[in-house]
Amino acid sequence: MPTPAIQIEHLTKDFPIGLRGVKLRAVDDLSLTIGDNQIYGLLGPNGSGKSTTLKIVLGLLKASAGSCHIFGQASFSVAARRSVGFLPEAPYFYRFLSGRELVRYYARVCGVARGRIKSQVDSVIDLVGMTEAADRRVGTYSKGMLQRIGLAQAIVHDPKLVILDEPTAGVDPLGSAAIADIIRELKRQGKTVLVSSHLLAQIEGLCDRVAILHRGKLVREGTIADLVETGNAESYVIEGLSPEGRKAVEASIAAHGAKLARVEKPKLSLDALFLAEVQRREAALSGESNERSAL
Amino acid sequence: MIHSLINSLVRVRLIAGNTFLEAVRQKFFNALLLISVALVFSSHFFQQFDFGTGELKFITDFGFGALFFFGSILAVTSTTQLFFNEIDNRTALTMLAKPIFKLEFIAGKLLGAWLLMAVFVALLSLVLAGILYWRESALMLMASEAFVDGRLVRYGDIAVFALLQWVKFGMIAGISLLVASFAQTNLYTVVVSFFVLLVCQLQYIALEAYAGIESAFASLLVRGLAMVFPNFQLFNVGDQLVYDVETVLPLVTVCKITVYGLFYMLFFLGLAQLNFRRREI
Repeated sequence: MPTPAIQIEHLTKDFPIGLRGVKLRAVDDLSLTIGDNQIYGLLGPNGSGKSTTLKIVLGLLKASAGSCHIFGQASFSVAARRSVGFLPEAPYFYRFLSGRELVRYYARVCGVARGRIKSQVDSVIDLVGMTEAADRRVGTYSKGMLQRIGLAQAIVHDPKLVILDEPTAGVDPLGSAAIADIIRELKRQGKTVLVSSHLLAQIEGLCDRVAILHRGKLVREGTIADLVETGNAESYVIEGLSPEGRKAVEASIAAHGAKLARVEKPKLSLDALFLAEVQRREAALSGESNERSAL
Repeated sequence: MIHSLINSLVRVRLIAGNTFLEAVRQKFFNALLLISVALVFSSHFFQQFDFGTGELKFITDFGFGALFFFGSILAVTSTTQLFFNEIDNRTALTMLAKPIFKLEFIAGKLLGAWLLMAVFVALLSLVLAGILYWRESALMLMASEAFVDGRLVRYGDIAVFALLQWVKFGMIAGISLLVASFAQTNLYTVVVSFFVLLVCQLQYIALEAYAGIESAFASLLVRGLAMVFPNFQLFNVGDQLVYDVETVLPLVTVCKITVYGLFYMLFFLGLAQLNFRRREI
């Protein structure tokens, strides 16, 4: 059996609050196994224990009970972190460095060989689509650009596991879609990606499996399809059906001992509509500018 | 083993370099440096306050005083700020998620702050030496009979004083880092660090006062406390430098004081690490 990327067993984390030994339980007996080369979503509302779990996985917090292993190594060990890249929530980086200097700095801290640093830095900056802005100071970046450069620093040492804490929080739908594409590309490269988020719509089309946390406890775990399928119902999307045709379909369903439960118009999600509109306008604008330059 | 030690030192150097870069871009450092340089530069205008000492001696004392005063402020505030910037801005989170040891992180912070102090001490010493050279040259023209044996100022001694002050500032930075390792706020760290600095500066008085104490327990306690708080009075060697031709500070003494300072820097770094490794970011 292959070694899982992350193995969490009966993890509990208590934070002391006040002077009388009162404790707040942030993570409560959590057990998870995240297989290799998956995109795994850790979902839950604010305060559900997602970030605390990620910090324990990264060795930034010590568990009150239970254990956590990364590719078989205890997660608090420095050796385990060699195979991990991390993008924190709402990242803040050294504002006085340029994007390229920042990624280069983290590459050197992570021990990327001198001869490989330039190519590695250029390659990840290209992957996150920051080549044009790479020589600008980080202090001038927008939120979306900060997330992208944050992603670049997280993967610059080519880790097998990438942990992203709320990577799309505060980013517009266009930026979120770009980040989702990068995450898919990381999976294609063979990496495991653990994403925490409370923006469920963005995660839905991205993750292979998800775990839902609430008040530190695991509520549900599984593939998206398993979790969102509703009983034995099926939906058919039909175009151009006349009222007579509809009556015939209903009669046929009834003849087979079933019943038509609901008829509704298929809808685009607002995210999808927004993206489609923006992409259509971008394409039109770029077409106009090409025509102008041709003239 | 040696390979991982070298890698570890490389990481400490990288963090120190980045810390130094961050520090020199802070307005506070530049403002303090400008004020200090201006003050030393203008020292010969304050001669009416020289209380009967010679002009050159006055300028030297004034310069050494400015170096100690502003250097101490800078050592405490910059170390504290550089540490809490990482915590408050959560850049420490990104850094400590990398394959580095917490010791490497705080050693890098200390080294970065100490590098900053090196720049501060070097600049201020150069300005002081320049002012002294200028005034001494002017005085040689005005009263050549006082300079029959050549120049009075031993400029090399300024470098010795600067070195010792730099080592002392390293100890102060170590103290600030130790306090910061368990403190929750910037202000608390600055206040406590200055308090400890004061204790270290005055501990020799307590030692003299309790020298004849009879109780073995009290005597042990006083000596124990004296070991925990380094004696900063050892670094106040300005009077034995630059002019005093009779009691030149021996090189061995300079080396001993330097080793004493480096030992305490490492001691405070070790204590800071004990706290910091348990700290949850």
